[in-house]
Order: sequence, then structure tokens, then C-alpha cells
Amino acid sequence: MDWNCILTEERLSDFLEGNLVGNEAAAFTAHKGTCARCATLVAQVGGLLDKMHGLELLEAPDTLQEKILAATVRRHEKKEGWRRWFAWAPLLWQPRFAVGIATVAACGVLVVQAGGLTPAKLRHANLNPADMFRAVNRQAHMTYARGAKFVNDLRVVYEIQSRLQETPSQQPPPRQQHNQKMDPRDPQQKSQTHRGRNASRGGIVYAQDLPAQTLEPPICLVTDGPNWSAP
Amino acid sequence: MEADAQLVQRCLRGDGSAWEQLVRQHTRRVYNLCYRFTGNSTEAEDLSQDVFLRIYRTLASYRPADGAFPTWLTSVTRNLLVDHYRRTRRDRITDSIDDAMPVLEERHSSARSPDRLAQAAELSMQLQHALSRLSPELREAVILRDLQSLEYNEIQAVLQVPEGTVKSRINRGRIELAKVLEQMGVRPQPQSGA
Repeated sequence: MDWNCILTEERLSDFLEGNLVGNEAAAFTAHKGTCARCATLVAQVGGLLDKMHGLELLEAPDTLQEKILAATVRRHEKKEGWRRWFAWAPLLWQPRFAVGIATVAACGVLVVQAGGLTPAKLRHANLNPADMFRAVNRQAHMTYARGAKFVNDLRVVYEIQSRLQETPSQQPPPRQQHNQKMDPRDPQQKSQTHRGRNASRGGIVYAQDLPAQTLEPPICLVTDGPNWSAP
Repeated sequence: MEADAQLVQRCLRGDGSAWEQLVRQHTRRVYNLCYRFTGNSTEAEDLSQDVFLRIYRTLASYRPADGAFPTWLTSVTRNLLVDHYRRTRRDRITDSIDDAMPVLEERHSSARSPDRLAQAAELSMQLQHALSRLSPELREAVILRDLQSLEYNEIQAVLQVPEGTVKSRINRGRIELAKVLEQMGVRPQPQSGA
């Protein structure tokens, strides 16, 4: 029987599984004995089949069966009696719901705080949306003003600190100034004292801190101008 | 076979324990098929779940007269695997087969020596790598025949192709697999010197 390499490849599985009989089997074996390439191929595929048939099935992960059962039959198990009324309760124990409820509660507290509402003194009029809006708006503006003032104060403090650090080696003020007695009646000294105090208030000078003289109109020293007269 | 058909009938009557028994009997086979086809244990696990979910929903469509339950189960699994293959074709180009290699089958062969276990584990990995380089048609034919030990008529029922095509695919798949293994430097020799 005429046998070649193409036939060997085509009938390889039949030969390895014992389905080649008679003349075909003899021709296959004879060709294999003369063709090194086909002999190698038969040996490789035969070895591969031996190895594959020797492999056992992989063990499925331990949790797989439980996952399948949980996704199928156990999901459709119906609760009996009063339990079915509370079948939704386990949902509340999920972290996402707990976090959601906590967030809503925190938002409620913030709104009540911002609206200046006191639960003990709550009246019906306080629940009017317009009043609530006004109260929240007012509270927001006050909070902003407080924040702005705080930031301004901080800025002044840091400015003073930075100036003090910039001039550590400066000469001390003249000794005579230290020895100069403070005269409470001297308005110039008084204004200097106030100026230092005012600096810590962020540059805000209150009228009550100003000396009495500064509120008076200045004396006119120009002779050819309009007639200003000293008080 | 008959036992499976009875279990299916009990399932259809709402018997949860029968379904549980079916799942326990066939999980390993389905998981193996999925793993050998995808080469990834996580994907195989997810696909196995999908297979049983589909089986659970379509259990009423199973006809014992048309074939054994394992054949029907394999057919459903194969269809899902083909869907999965088409869906993830693009992702696979950049994927590596080396990720998430599962615990190999030899862990249950406690009678074998550690040396043999290591060899078998290595062969399993190499085989998995080589299988992933076959075309899907050849791969599924080889897996069903040589790793799942299905008969030709069962494979024909699963793949819905003539028996001649089944035999041809298996033959070509084996030859391709041997060539790929040779390229990888693996030369499995026959134990009996065929």
C-alpha cells in the first residue's frame, strides 16, 4: 500500500487510538520506520497524549460551589412567617447604607447649625422656607466675616513677626527715649501707645482710641488761603 | 446518566437539595473546561458561575432523549466560552497567560513523590501555555477529547459539527499542540514507546 507523510498526519490519531487496522496499520508502521520526520511526529504526539491522559482534573476552588448555590437556589429561598416582613433588614447592615445614613444625619446637623435653629426653641415660623433661607444666609455671611477677620489678624501677626525677625541686629532705640518718662497728659505719647495697640488689631483704629486733638480741625498755617481760624 | 435526569426532574419540582447535588457533581468538570480554555483561574471561576446560572434558568429546556446531562452541560459551557472568547478577544492580545496559575491537579495525588508532582505541575503549566496558542476550534476539540475524555459522538453533539470534522480538528489540534510544545523546548516522549 502506498503511504506518505500527508497520510501519516491525517491518520495519526486513528493510529494512536488503535483505530487503524489491517493494511493501513501495516503501511503506517512501515512508513514510520523509514521516515524520520514522521517517526518524530508520532513519538511527540503519542507522548503528548500519554501526558494529557495522565493529568487529573483540576480541583475547583473551595468557595466555587458555595458561590454558585448562593447565586441560584439560596437566593430564591423564601422566608416564612414574620421573617419575610423583615427580609429587607439585613440590607441596613451593609456598610454603604450605614455610611449613607451617617452622611444624611451629618448634613442635617449642619443645616440646623447653619440656620441657627435650636431644637428646644423651635417654632412653627422657624420652619418657613423663606425664614430658613434668611437665617442660613445671615449665618453664612457672619461665618464668612469671622473667617475674614481671623485671616486678617493672622496676616498682621505674621507680618509683625517677620519684621521682628528681619531686624534682630538693629541698634536699640536711643537711650534717652527709654529714660523719657511717660506723661499721661502728653497726647503725642498717648497716640504712639495707641498706634502700637492698634497694630495688633489688624490696622483697625477705633474712634475712642484716638486722642481728642486729632478730632479737631487742623490749624491752618497758610496765610494766603481762605481764612481758617484756630479754635 | 439516569441519576442526573432524575435530579433534573426533582430540580424542576423545586427540590433545592437536588440542585445542590447536581452542582456538587459537575462543578469540577465545568471549572476544568473553563480553566483549560481560558488559562486563567479567576475567569474560569466566574465563567463556571455563569454556566450554572444559565443551567439553573434553562433547566426546563433539557431533554434527556436528546443526550446525557453532562453532554448538555458541556454544550452550554462551550457556548458560554465561545461568547467569552469573542467578547475578550481584544483584551487577550496584551494579557499574559502566566497570571493567576491555579493550584494544580497534582495536589490531590498524595501518593506521588514531590519530584513527580513538580514535573507534572510544570507539564500542566506548559500544556496550558501551549493550548492558549491554538485556535479556539482546535483547542476546544483537544480539551474535550483529551482532557475531558468525551467520546466522539458527545463532542459532535457539543460542537454541533459532523463527526469527520470533530476527528479532523482533534487530529490537527494534537499535531499543532505537539509542535507548539516543541517550540517551547518541551518534548513529551511516549511512556510505552508507541
